[in-house]
Amino acid sequence: MSEKDGIKILICQGTGGISMGAKDVEAAFVRHLAEKGVDAVIGKRCDIIKTGCRGLCANDVLVDIITPEQGRVTYDFVKPEEVEKIIDEHLVKKETIEKRKAKPYYNQFVNAQMRVVMTGCGQIDPESLNAYLEEDGFKAIEKCIRGMKPDEVIEEVKKSGLRGRGGGGFPTGTKWSFCKASPGNHKYLICNADEGDPGAFMDRSLLEGDPFCIIEGMMIAAYAIGCDFGYVYVRAEYPLAVQRLQHAIDICYEKNYLGKNIQGWGFDFDMRIKMGAGAFVCGEETALMASIEGFRGMSRPRPPFPAVRGLWGKPTNINNVETFANVRHIINRGADWYASLGTDTTKGTKIFAVTGKVKHTGLVEVPAGMKIREVIYDVCGGIANNRKFKAVQAGGPSGGCIPAEILDTPVDYDSLIKAGAMMGSGGLVVMDETTCMVDVSRFFLNFTRMESCGKCVPCRIGLKVMLDILERITEGRGEPSDIETLKDLGIAIKKSSLCGLGQTAPNPILSTINYFRDEYEAHINDKRCPSNCCKELLLWQVVVDKCVKCGACKKACPVDAIVWEKGEIAYLDKEKCTKCKSCYDACRFMAIE
Amino acid sequence: MVNLTIDNRQVTAPRNATIYEAAKINGIHIPILCHDNKLKPFGACRMCLVEVEQMKGRQIPACTTPVTEGMIVTTSTPDIIKARKLVLELLLLNHPLDCPVCDKGGDCDLQNLSYDYKISSNRFHDQKFQHKIDYNNPLIERDMNRCILCGKCVRICDEIVSFGALTFIGRGIETKIGCEFDEALNCEFCGSCVSVCPVGALLARPFKFKARFWAMEKKRSICGYCGTGCNLTLGVKEGKVLTTVYDENQGFHRGQLCVRGRFGYQFINNEKRLKKPLIRKNGALVECGWDEALQLAASKIRNGSETAAIATPRLTNEEFFLFRKLMKGIGSENFDHAAGYAHKALTSGFARSLGSAASTAMVNDIQKSDMLLVIKTDSYETHPVIGFEINIAVKDKGVKLNIVSDKNGKLGKLPGARTFVHLPGSETLLINALCSSVIKQKLVSSTAASLPDFKEYAKGIEAFSPEKAASLCGISPEEINSLAADFASSKKAMILFPTGVAYPGHDSELATALANLAILAGKVEGEGCGLLCLPEKNNSQGAVDTGFYPTGKGLDALSVFDAIEDGRIKTLFLAGENPVVSYPDEARIKRALEKLDFLVLTTLFPTETAEYADLVLPASSYAEKEGTFTSAGGHVQYFAPVIPKAGDSRTDFEIISSLIKLTGGEAASNPSEIFAEIASTLDGYAGMTYENLGENGAFTAVKTRPALILPQTQAPALRKPEEFSLVTGALLYHNGTLSQFGEGPMHVSPESYAEISRKDASRLGIKENDTITLTSDSGSMQLAARVSLRIPEGVVFIPNHFSANPVNAIWSGKPVTPVALSR
Ligand SMILES: Cc1cc2nc3c(=O)[nH]c(=O)nc-3n(C[C@H](O)[C@H](O)[C@H](O)COP(=O)(O)O)c2cc1C
Ligand code: SF4
Ligand code: SF4
Ligand code: SF4
Ligand code: SF4
Ligand code: SF4
Ligand code: SF4
Ligand code: FES
Ligand code: FES
Repeated sequence: MSEKDGIKILICQGTGGISMGAKDVEAAFVRHLAEKGVDAVIGKRCDIIKTGCRGLCANDVLVDIITPEQGRVTYDFVKPEEVEKIIDEHLVKKETIEKRKAKPYYNQFVNAQMRVVMTGCGQIDPESLNAYLEEDGFKAIEKCIRGMKPDEVIEEVKKSGLRGRGGGGFPTGTKWSFCKASPGNHKYLICNADEGDPGAFMDRSLLEGDPFCIIEGMMIAAYAIGCDFGYVYVRAEYPLAVQRLQHAIDICYEKNYLGKNIQGWGFDFDMRIKMGAGAFVCGEETALMASIEGFRGMSRPRPPFPAVRGLWGKPTNINNVETFANVRHIINRGADWYASLGTDTTKGTKIFAVTGKVKHTGLVEVPAGMKIREVIYDVCGGIANNRKFKAVQAGGPSGGCIPAEILDTPVDYDSLIKAGAMMGSGGLVVMDETTCMVDVSRFFLNFTRMESCGKCVPCRIGLKVMLDILERITEGRGEPSDIETLKDLGIAIKKSSLCGLGQTAPNPILSTINYFRDEYEAHINDKRCPSNCCKELLLWQVVVDKCVKCGACKKACPVDAIVWEKGEIAYLDKEKCTKCKSCYDACRFMAIE
Repeated sequence: MVNLTIDNRQVTAPRNATIYEAAKINGIHIPILCHDNKLKPFGACRMCLVEVEQMKGRQIPACTTPVTEGMIVTTSTPDIIKARKLVLELLLLNHPLDCPVCDKGGDCDLQNLSYDYKISSNRFHDQKFQHKIDYNNPLIERDMNRCILCGKCVRICDEIVSFGALTFIGRGIETKIGCEFDEALNCEFCGSCVSVCPVGALLARPFKFKARFWAMEKKRSICGYCGTGCNLTLGVKEGKVLTTVYDENQGFHRGQLCVRGRFGYQFINNEKRLKKPLIRKNGALVECGWDEALQLAASKIRNGSETAAIATPRLTNEEFFLFRKLMKGIGSENFDHAAGYAHKALTSGFARSLGSAASTAMVNDIQKSDMLLVIKTDSYETHPVIGFEINIAVKDKGVKLNIVSDKNGKLGKLPGARTFVHLPGSETLLINALCSSVIKQKLVSSTAASLPDFKEYAKGIEAFSPEKAASLCGISPEEINSLAADFASSKKAMILFPTGVAYPGHDSELATALANLAILAGKVEGEGCGLLCLPEKNNSQGAVDTGFYPTGKGLDALSVFDAIEDGRIKTLFLAGENPVVSYPDEARIKRALEKLDFLVLTTLFPTETAEYADLVLPASSYAEKEGTFTSAGGHVQYFAPVIPKAGDSRTDFEIISSLIKLTGGEAASNPSEIFAEIASTLDGYAGMTYENLGENGAFTAVKTRPALILPQTQAPALRKPEEFSLVTGALLYHNGTLSQFGEGPMHVSPESYAEISRKDASRLGIKENDTITLTSDSGSMQLAARVSLRIPEGVVFIPNHFSANPVNAIWSGKPVTPVALSR
């Protein structure tokens, strides 16, 4: 987008933006611009553009104003009542309001990233086909159809080294070639937008912020493989994504970018959104197909693989949203360019959803192979509240943790696996010294076992048994043999479960036992939680030499169990204490144990 | 074939076999819990895990993984044993383990595997499940505490029964099997789910606490209800049949049964069974000895010209053969079965059109066909296990299904199925129109075109062009043409239609019309082609084969009643038949029976007809005798007695045999000799012996000689606008009137009703269960209304099984009976 002509006001209208009042901010801009006749006053057109998510939702509503004079300036936390002032000063007087500008960390957050897949996201109007076309939209599919044979498209994708972003990291070109090779004149294409991993929202943001690029990615895949029908399986909890994508599909049909004989290129492709059933396991490809077929979302054995017998028994190719989002860039800029990004085995960029105890949580797109340390410290500003980094859970609830010792692990498929974690959908949950690794395992396991589809025995019952043991441990009733039992069970469940859910659910436990065995032992042998996190094991007392007499705990305690006077060390009255942990959370000096 | 190594042995297996199947074929046992060879691969229990060299690191389910060339499989390594033990430990964790009071004990896969793998203790501890047990239906107890979630019940109900009553509910450890919205089970009660359940989670309630599994003898038999000819294994203890036992290897149907076969066995040991001959003295039936009874019967029937016999198609082939001898011996040509008309499709229709009174297709053609043309959606209800074959054909094999029927029904809900709902009674007309359309569309096969009678036929059938027939049968010319084209241009196609007392329209004319259609389209014979008549009762086909119907000047069953009324017939011998309830026009039947000089009846039960009898002879049921039945498609199967005869009852074979002797005749005295005689006199049975019938039986040889004959077709009488067309038919839960003595069927379908369309109901202000009055020329009756979506406007359907309030009070026995209906 050229920043020379016209004035552009980009208002974030991703789910985060909207929930922080982006619609009101937009309305305020519209109203004030009109009332003040700003266009006339400054002699330029001011275009308001609603964009998708740009990754730092915590700072929403984010507003970028681009003027020839001041270039691009980002304001964050914008409230509707501030809009008038911003217009007056920034647009009319052409004076940037320095105080309200996003802090330097915002730019650091943005600049330390490498945006390929998310280029459109947060920059263009996701509801405008023209905006997409201006950004070379549908050039890639045109290039494919008019200049490349399907096999050449597959070759190009193979050469790029693109691997599936849905978790498994299967080489995308190879997957396409399997489905293409399957006999049958009716094949399906599925875009997996179930995104059940709590905390991850890159797929949602892509669909909300750049839906046309997903459609184009699917068209290219369909052309390469020979599919005539595509489904996008979106979780029902993503109403905005569904709405934006549906809008985009409607426009594409209207303008003949979907349907029969697209743009006269002699290529047919139809697509439809299918709303998910809201279960984590529905993201697993066979369960997803069962769900589309109208059955309960329950995994099916593979083989037969979807490429051979998929949806309704037909050959089916299924890819993740982010995978499809990469495709048009590979075609437009070439496989060689793409392959030059990243590491030997993981090419291109990867979007991560960083949450937990970092200063700036959000979506970050970085070249594959960047060190985890860089992601956490350079992009996300390091650990919040000056606490000590303990570990990062990579790969969502069925990933594994990476401790401080190996913080220089690069984020690529193979290094993460080697570290006992995985890429998964790209969730990074950062944990500090207050996080108990046993409790974290318990938390993740509780999630996966609740989401188990209940079909196979090891996952359905085995995970429950593991959870029972972990609960016992965190409650101080652990037994020395528990660690070995957990390991044993975990390995057995991984090996014998039917689908990826059961095959990965024990990961958090296995990896925390591997890296933080001492924490388990402390719980079991000393009945102590080293992170002072497991309620049942807290001593419920103030550590005298850590207390700085600030009194925060007294204010936090809802039952007046803290005795504190100004300048005195606090005292916790165990009789009154209800073990709610409010004081513990309130104390910034780790003085409650 | 694929070469692979299993447990260090070089073996081969078919290309699409799974590892489990490959092992099994080669005599290597892999334990399973959730796998069933009838069902699609599922892979839930993980008992069958094996190691595969080429897929190191994971444990591979043998039951779902196809073999590949060069695969190296090890079925039990220490790791694998450990994994299987873990599965069992986990399954037993919340399981109630109340084996001492569990009916599945001794036949339970979980129990057996726990024993095999010596799971004597559990490393883990947890609470037992606390699910409420579903006792809401009388036939199936659902105790989800014992469920191991193998999913077999869900799958069989969906994949084979196509009912879909069951589903997985919940996630994680809370997952359980339930009905939609967790409601009580209310389904077809076929018991398929009970059969396949590997544990005691689904149990047959009538069998509860009847016997330990191992204390019963398991004996093979043949179902005595409908003409499907399902094989049964009966669980017998102390001379009583206590249950049916599932044997997945039995019969073409691989152990599947319908509600009647599965739960209807109780009639065998029903308290009401007659144990002693009864003789009428001073107006009352009193017990007497066999000698006295047989002497009397013999003396009464001796005058053959005034004697007639009507039998139920439930007798054995040997009994029919002998019976015919008896009748011929006493000089009577008046013998018949099945109301005299229910067999005409075969004995007259097929006989003249195809050259023999037999179907040209067999049941196992269904899944090999490309298209099925089913006459009446009721075929599912009349022959439910053949219905399962159709379900599988359509859902698994992609066979097309077209249904021509006077109402909608379950079959029509199969994927892609088309139902052509015609006006009641117009089926022959519609089939003629299809024939005419095949000719018009020039789709006639060359063999048909070269038949000598083709020209004449083609000319005659012009009167039934789709355009002319459309308004008379209620199907548009376009639909008729498309169905005709569909049938004729399918590579393989077959026609199925039920016959029976309840379907008077399925007569010789319809059979001829259908034969014409098959002949014209070149679909008379060959794999996946042909005509399959589905006769009502277990040995309807056998009664026809053995010739137990009148030829020449012999009277047919209904004419016998005329002859009684005008005094030509004085003595009637009824074997098992209950015409007071099942034959058309109750009043007329009763009138005739009253007029008889002498009525002798062999019967299992004191039926309504017994009230008119002078002599009642207690007969033995199929479970108490030996013989053969011939089912749909000419499947001849041998069965032996499984229990001693009830009381002093005797088999019809013994009774008839005694009567032959007493009337001065001679005949072999045991069934096997008679069967030998059958084999030597009936072409179709040539070469058969009890020994070579074995467990699988044999199929009668059928010679066909197709001929195109113009059926006599009457347009159905148009009903007056205020009238309803009464049609009768079969219910899924019953067969004839016999199933009323099986507790199971009566639990779920205890009484008659009148089913009408929703539109008519709302027009007349009738609600479900309202009492409505139905009046025809022959009488009047009241029934509870059932309002349904499947019945077209202007039609009322009443089942024909029930003795209480029988439909023949108003039913004429014509294809359609006009009735007035009021609230
Ligand atoms: C329990 C489970 C959940 C999954 N959830 C998702 C998901 O939400 N989105 C997704 O794209 N893939 C998910 N996957 C991976 C898919 O099964 C599949 O591998 C992926 O969609 C393939 O796309 P890709 O080749 O582009 O990665 C999940 C897998 C498992 C086992
Ligand atoms: S591993 Fe878990 S989620 Fe997957 S099929 Fe088994 S029970 Fe279902
Ligand atoms: S909050 Fe912590 S440091 Fe402050 S008074 Fe309480 S215990 Fe002491
Ligand atoms: S289901 Fe099997 S293991 Fe369970 S109680 Fe019954 S017999 Fe015992
Ligand atoms: S009895 Fe038959 S219809 Fe009913 S749930 Fe079981 S399988 Fe389904
Ligand atoms: S009820 Fe029986 S058949 Fe059904 S899932 Fe449970 S164990 Fe399997
Ligand atoms: S009644 Fe018919 S279908 Fe049912 S089990 Fe018996 S023979 Fe089979
Ligand atoms: S929604 Fe605004 S930055 Fe994510
Ligand atoms: S028998 Fe193979 S998984 Fe159950």
